[in-house]
Amino acid sequence: MDARATALGLFRGQKAADAAALAPGLVTAEAEPEADLAALKLLSDWCARFSPAVAMDPPDGLFLDITGVAHLWGGERNMAEDLLARLAAGGIPMRAAVASSPGAAWALARFGTGQMIIPPGEEAASLAPLPVDALRLATQTAAQIARLGLATIGHLAQLPRASITRRFGEDVVGRLDQALGRAPEALVFRRPPTPWFARLAFAEPISSAEDLARVTVDIAALMGARLEAQGRGARRFELCFHRLDGQVQRLAIGLALPGRDPQSIARLFIPQLERVDPGFGIEVVTLTAQGVERLSRRQRRLDEVREAAPEEGVAPLVDRLTNRLGEAAVWRAEAWPSHVPERAVARRPPLSPLAGVGWNPERPRPLRLFRRPEAIEVVAPVPDDPPIFFRWRGAAHRVRFAEGPERLAQEWWRRPFEDADPARVRDYYRVEDEAGMRFWLFRVGLYTAETSAKWWLHGLFG
Amino acid sequence: MSREARLLAVRAKVAAVAGGPLGAGVLAFGDARIDRCLPGGGLPLGRWHEAAGEGLDIETAAAASAFVAALAGPLARRGAVVWVMRRDDLYAPGLADLSFPAERLIQVHVRDEAQALAAVEDALGTAGVAAAIGEAQDIDLTGGRRLQLACERYGATGFVIRRRPFGGQAKRAASGSAAATRWMIAPASSEPGQGEPGLGLPRWRVDLQRCRGGWPGRWIVEKNDGPYPLRVVADLGDRQLETPQSLRLAG
Repeated sequence: MDARATALGLFRGQKAADAAALAPGLVTAEAEPEADLAALKLLSDWCARFSPAVAMDPPDGLFLDITGVAHLWGGERNMAEDLLARLAAGGIPMRAAVASSPGAAWALARFGTGQMIIPPGEEAASLAPLPVDALRLATQTAAQIARLGLATIGHLAQLPRASITRRFGEDVVGRLDQALGRAPEALVFRRPPTPWFARLAFAEPISSAEDLARVTVDIAALMGARLEAQGRGARRFELCFHRLDGQVQRLAIGLALPGRDPQSIARLFIPQLERVDPGFGIEVVTLTAQGVERLSRRQRRLDEVREAAPEEGVAPLVDRLTNRLGEAAVWRAEAWPSHVPERAVARRPPLSPLAGVGWNPERPRPLRLFRRPEAIEVVAPVPDDPPIFFRWRGAAHRVRFAEGPERLAQEWWRRPFEDADPARVRDYYRVEDEAGMRFWLFRVGLYTAETSAKWWLHGLFG
Repeated sequence: MSREARLLAVRAKVAAVAGGPLGAGVLAFGDARIDRCLPGGGLPLGRWHEAAGEGLDIETAAAASAFVAALAGPLARRGAVVWVMRRDDLYAPGLADLSFPAERLIQVHVRDEAQALAAVEDALGTAGVAAAIGEAQDIDLTGGRRLQLACERYGATGFVIRRRPFGGQAKRAASGSAAATRWMIAPASSEPGQGEPGLGLPRWRVDLQRCRGGWPGRWIVEKNDGPYPLRVVADLGDRQLETPQSLRLAG
């Protein structure tokens, strides 16, 4: 919608017949949202020359995070001018604004008239004369605000926040805060494709298993040499076999610590090669590396036969096990701040840094915790006391010693407080039977005279 | 050749026949009543050991795991420890109660027996791994020999806990074993102190059924907070309960 069209009285969303009445010579064309989006994508990739963080704002906007970048152009003004000049040379009409928050920049770029580059802290003053449409609100909400005589953002900002929320919904206050830089806004930045990419093309398509294994080693060596030259290692590798018929077969491996040794990378891929269906043949193989990090060369010792650093021993073991058994099958346990036994343990990647927070040693916990507690029949003559006798998996156990109860309720922070149900409270007891077996039992709910309590066995102490 | 030199040579030969090199050292229990039954005065490292429970414990493997975890606790300070299981019901806070650094333990969940033994073997043959613990139903002589070879590469110590994690009938009795020691573990009644409520420290009745280069024996041990993970309460070999006062030596 350029200035000439606006001058003719045309606007977005207008009916074609009405528009033709206003401008008799109007030529209409089908809207192509997909093509527009594709063009915006191209433009956002092109904008990566200005900033590595470019976010798309369909249908017609781009956000560039230029934090710490502008000085390369000698200031924000020069940068914006350069961007506009380059786009104008490409025949793309464009408006740009620089502000401390995405919301303010959006408003200024579309509705601003004066200064387009506002220093931090002056968002409120610069936005005050702009119409409320500049807040990225739903059309009805903006129309409703305008109907009430609040023509500008400045008017709106003077109202008490509570009454804005009550009249127009929470969205308005949120958008206002985002525009004024009071609330954070998450942008989805488009990342340029990884530069860590290796490719091997073959004159003749290959398909035999030996050839696949051989090219895997070759391409891993290519990538390894590049990574080594720049002193880097990567955590994930993706190997793609491009078939003659255009299909792509992907294999991926992950490493517990960043690595680049071609032998070990190839060794992790080779067991997976049997899953590759070469079809009529494979013409191109590509390998991409993700999670690229700096990796310094380790000084090797002459007598390291017995002394090996974890980077050389345990990490490859974790990689082998993870790639063979699946990512969820290898973990280490970490304390999770919850008193509910099932949730007190979090699974972490095996070589992740230790949090150093353990479990409370004052509260004994079983060595084996059943995924589902098992129902038991008990004899517990005194209410709120541990049982004196119980039957589990068909065997009778007479309790010799008991400890408890330890009362565990639901996590009150996960549900509304009113939902807390005394019927879900568990009273845990640690009991030992005559043979010395130690069990972790619990009774569900508070004791009542009418109903007999349900008892469960949740775990075993060794 | 002097008498001492000949004696040394014979001892080395016996050691080689009885159970490979002892270069990896031993893990002493700190009590002569157990240590004298074990070759070298403690649980030999760089070998693999077998622990099993009885009755329901074959399915849950609670007592045997607790005993192994208590034993392997000191090893976790020397390197990584890997625990391979088919049923992932191991509860880390419970391991921590047995003074085992549960947060550093690498836990591996496998689908079948073959994967379990392969993972244990892989872990044992890796530099930087101090111990690998596997839960397996049965391990034949070949599998045992493979574990032993893996142990010898870097001196890691293996533990195999006999377990049928999902119940069912035992296939057959183990025909033989390449394990350095075989233990049968059962829970034993704890003894809370006089006037103390609740349970005492956990105790186990341990039965050393087989031991290469050593002697079998039976003891009751208790979890210990001192330098050694377990404390011998009673030697069941002669059914004598421990007397609280120290013995006075005659002479």
